[in-house]
Amino acid sequence: MPPLPDPKSVLLNIPYDEEFRSLYIAYIVGLCQLDLDPHLASEIPGSGRRLDRIFELIESCRYSIHDLSRVEVSVAPTAVPRFNMPLELGMTIAWQKLNPTLHDCIVWESEPYRIQRSASDLNGTDVYIHNGTPEGVLSELRNAFPRDRMPSVPDILEIYRFVHDQLNAILLKHGTSNPYSRSVFIELCWLSRSLADFFRYTRPAI
Amino acid sequence: MPKPIHITTPWATPEEWAKLYPISKERERELQALVDQFKAMHPAREEQTVTSIKLEKRRKRASAA
Repeated sequence: MPPLPDPKSVLLNIPYDEEFRSLYIAYIVGLCQLDLDPHLASEIPGSGRRLDRIFELIESCRYSIHDLSRVEVSVAPTAVPRFNMPLELGMTIAWQKLNPTLHDCIVWESEPYRIQRSASDLNGTDVYIHNGTPEGVLSELRNAFPRDRMPSVPDILEIYRFVHDQLNAILLKHGTSNPYSRSVFIELCWLSRSLADFFRYTRPAI
Repeated sequence: MPKPIHITTPWATPEEWAKLYPISKERERELQALVDQFKAMHPAREEQTVTSIKLEKRRKRASAA
């Protein structure tokens, strides 16, 4: 029997691209506001094979979010489809199938019914639709992981805007333009977490 | 609609989550200053608690009656 995963850990399987920045921050802030701990493949240090490290992360996380909203190919001549997210979803589905009590994976999209065309084998899988907006991500996170005394979407949005506004300064501090790098991810989580109880104690439960 | 996953674990304490996302003491001070700035923009709310909000509502209802 594999070791029990951390009950609050959530693996984020998302596209690491410029256009996804806002939704990436929304996922971090939203999960932290629900007292869940986001994790990212880039956060694992080490020189081992990337796929092995990702599998270790899948094993150690109780939940995973697989955002399949980036299915389109950009117009750049060198553009290729992104297969990392479906690949990692496939690995996770296999892991969940073998260990149904240890892991739950959740699929996310920006458009309703599109997944039936992009990954028809997933037909029958219920999908969360975030409409490609931070508000959509936050609202759907509350639907996906309801809990006692969770903050409202407008409250979480205020924290989202605050964390989003700090991103450039954090990137500058770490001398990188990559918001998905380990050090930047950790600081975004730290900021989001440090405000996790702020509205919980200042607003009535909804 | 997908089936929701009800989270029933107790809310984490700051000490618990700080271990998850370790940063240097110096950087912690810098980020804490930003957090304090955010909190300062919401002073009225920070002073309120769930209980105080409920009491306030009851007080208003009583005075209106």
